[in-house]
Amino acid sequence: MYRGREGQWAFYLHRISGVAIILFLTLHVTEISSSMFGPKWFNALLEFEANPIFGLGLVGVAALVLYHALNGLRIILMDFTSWGVKYQRQLWYGVWALYVVIGFPMLFAMLGHVFGGGE
Amino acid sequence: MQVTLKILRYNPEKDARPHWESYRLEAEPMDRVLDLLHKVKWEGDGTLAFRRSCGHGICGSCAMMINGRNRLACKTLVKDLGTEVIEVQPIRGLPVEKDLVVDMEPFFKAYRAVKPWLINDEPPPERERLQSPEERERFDEGTKCILCASCTTSCPVFWVNGTYIGPSAVVQAHRFIFDSRDKGAHERFPVLGSTGGVWRCRTAYNCTEACPREIPVTQLIQEVKRAIMFGEF
Repeated sequence: MYRGREGQWAFYLHRISGVAIILFLTLHVTEISSSMFGPKWFNALLEFEANPIFGLGLVGVAALVLYHALNGLRIILMDFTSWGVKYQRQLWYGVWALYVVIGFPMLFAMLGHVFGGGE
Repeated sequence: MQVTLKILRYNPEKDARPHWESYRLEAEPMDRVLDLLHKVKWEGDGTLAFRRSCGHGICGSCAMMINGRNRLACKTLVKDLGTEVIEVQPIRGLPVEKDLVVDMEPFFKAYRAVKPWLINDEPPPERERLQSPEERERFDEGTKCILCASCTTSCPVFWVNGTYIGPSAVVQAHRFIFDSRDKGAHERFPVLGSTGGVWRCRTAYNCTEACPREIPVTQLIQEVKRAIMFGEF
């Protein structure tokens, strides 16, 4: 394993989360478009997806989406400002600070939803 | 002090794949990794192959991956590594010819592709093409490059992409694009703006961390991206 620093891990995690988002969207579009075959198939599929394993998967995807979004802002700053590259490491720590503030409450709420059985 | 030097050895005539070999050596804290390699080659195993020339950090021959990071063997001191086991392997992403020697041709092909020379068809003035100190300063960072390939072979995109020209070629392009005397930017932009050009850079910063000349490589790549995008340079 090449011993890269923050930038390398920011990049790898951005890639992995991007792939996860594509897979989720594919599944999501498939699921919604199954309604073309009538309520029977659509409801059966939704019922199948209503178990905690898919619920946990959804929490995982949400966690990755949030990272992808916040690090995406970091990338925009690096691409379009004169100072972004210089402070890329600090910006990455900023991403994680925001992650804790925004992400933790969101993910805990989602976990409660998955295991608490809804409202 | 005693150190263990682990080298990823490969002999294309004998080995199916590279393998690690360990050498127990007596070393001084101020020894360079290059000194340890010499000790192995001169006093132990003469079949060990590696490149080096000047031994003073300016020729760019001895780039190798030392303890997981690209560095020049001649600028890396044992005491700075701080480990008793020192791992040395060839730089990644270029075909290994033997032990630590890689085929540099793909690297130099990318270098030539960006036309790293002054392009200016205007008739030369009587004495010289004048430049202000500020204009000279604009491309100063890129002039420090020694073409060691530490940056290019630390890039995760370069390892797997197969067409990316790599950070070093972009640094070389930057050196001329931002030179006020050079008029060749539009000859270089087709290569730099192609699918194997600057847009393959995903800002992982390994190049900037690896550069033994402390060139802000990623910064220069970003400047070339913006030069292509906005036409300002």
